[in-house]
Amino acid sequence: MNRIAFPRASRILLALFFVVGLSACDINAVPRYDEDTKAAWSEVLNQYQRRADLVPNLVETVAGYARQEKETLTAVVEARSKATQMQLPPDILNNPEAFKQFQQNQAALGGALARLLLVVEKYPDLKSNQNFLALQSQLEGTENRISVARRDYILSVQKYNTELRTIPGRWVAGVLYPDAGVKQTFDIAEQAKEAPKVKF
Amino acid sequence: MARCMRYPVSAARAICSLALLLCVIHVVAGCPAIAAEPKFPPLTGRVVDDAALLSAPVRERITGWLAEFERASKRQLVVVTVNDLQGYPIEDFGYRLGRAWGIGEKDKNTGAILLVAPKERAVRIEAGYGLEGELTDAISRAIIDQNILPAFKQGNYEQGIVNGTAAILKVLGWNGATPGAMIAAPGGKQELSPLSLLIFIILFFVFRFGRHGIFTGRRGHGVWGARSRGGFSGRGGSFGGGGASGRW
Repeated sequence: MNRIAFPRASRILLALFFVVGLSACDINAVPRYDEDTKAAWSEVLNQYQRRADLVPNLVETVAGYARQEKETLTAVVEARSKATQMQLPPDILNNPEAFKQFQQNQAALGGALARLLLVVEKYPDLKSNQNFLALQSQLEGTENRISVARRDYILSVQKYNTELRTIPGRWVAGVLYPDAGVKQTFDIAEQAKEAPKVKF
Repeated sequence: MARCMRYPVSAARAICSLALLLCVIHVVAGCPAIAAEPKFPPLTGRVVDDAALLSAPVRERITGWLAEFERASKRQLVVVTVNDLQGYPIEDFGYRLGRAWGIGEKDKNTGAILLVAPKERAVRIEAGYGLEGELTDAISRAIIDQNILPAFKQGNYEQGIVNGTAAILKVLGWNGATPGAMIAAPGGKQELSPLSLLIFIILFFVFRFGRHGIFTGRRGHGVWGARSRGGFSGRGGSFGGGGASGRW
């Protein structure tokens, strides 16, 4: 009697250990962090789009005062169309080449815009134009939002990748989420290069 | 027989315990420490005057506005002066401060911060996600340029902060703030006669105890009584870099 009862109790204990162990492991961590990175990425795209939407208006306003700066203006327009026309593959976050391409295109637009704002220094009339001042503050705010969104994305990917590559998340993902792969992230150095501070 | 059965069970149990232990360690250790955060001052009230730019009556007055504003609209505006941005750009410091304090309603993110850093000669209006549509970048910039910087350039921080706060409140739909009346002309703020100082002190205590009573009555938390500045905390709002900055 006693001999049979003991293994049964052990089995129950074993099952209990599994349940407790799994709940402590947080088997949902991988998909949850995955969703967090997707949300953070959408915000990055959203803010880059916002910047791209500001460009036509800005170019038009600057052109009204500084038509001779054709080269700089054209560079901005071209960088914008390159950045907005890029087809983002659905797996961009796991695709190093596409991600790098995206980052380069956006950095090019950021650089072209920064040069445009430097050129504007030479035109006091433009600098005091109300429309331009509003656009300029929107652009500054958008650059700032981009850097916040990028930082949030970097942090969320760091969390996700850490979960995927460390035990026990690694085991959990290996068994339950075999498709989950390490995601691409921005390098901070590029970010610092991209948005030079323009002071007026 | 029994020995045969017991052996695999205890082995499995040992493996399981090990896994459990690993999981517990994982949970306890939590996520690894990520990027460094600046050190923020404690949120001691609606006006956190770490750089000591405001006199007590002005601070009380602004606090009164901000409390009324929150009561009327459920939104939160906080006025902060800091000694030091600790090497961070004010844009970076501002939104992290807002997130750390959780200014504004949770989910609606209806918080805003007026941040002044006299050492770096920088000022920033930080708009929470939910206020970006009203307190836009362009409007924030205009408030800084027109209401704040002219006074700051003359060294009159008090006037600039009062004007800026009133302008922000107006943009956010609250018209109860009337700047100027209480503030002396630029340069005159230090010269208080003993009589007016006495009146200020009396008003200060009356005002403070009055509001304190309302606060403890409304919220009914024991915690608030322990804090000297009338009990105030963020409600979980978040920030994403909206607003504008200015330098003088």
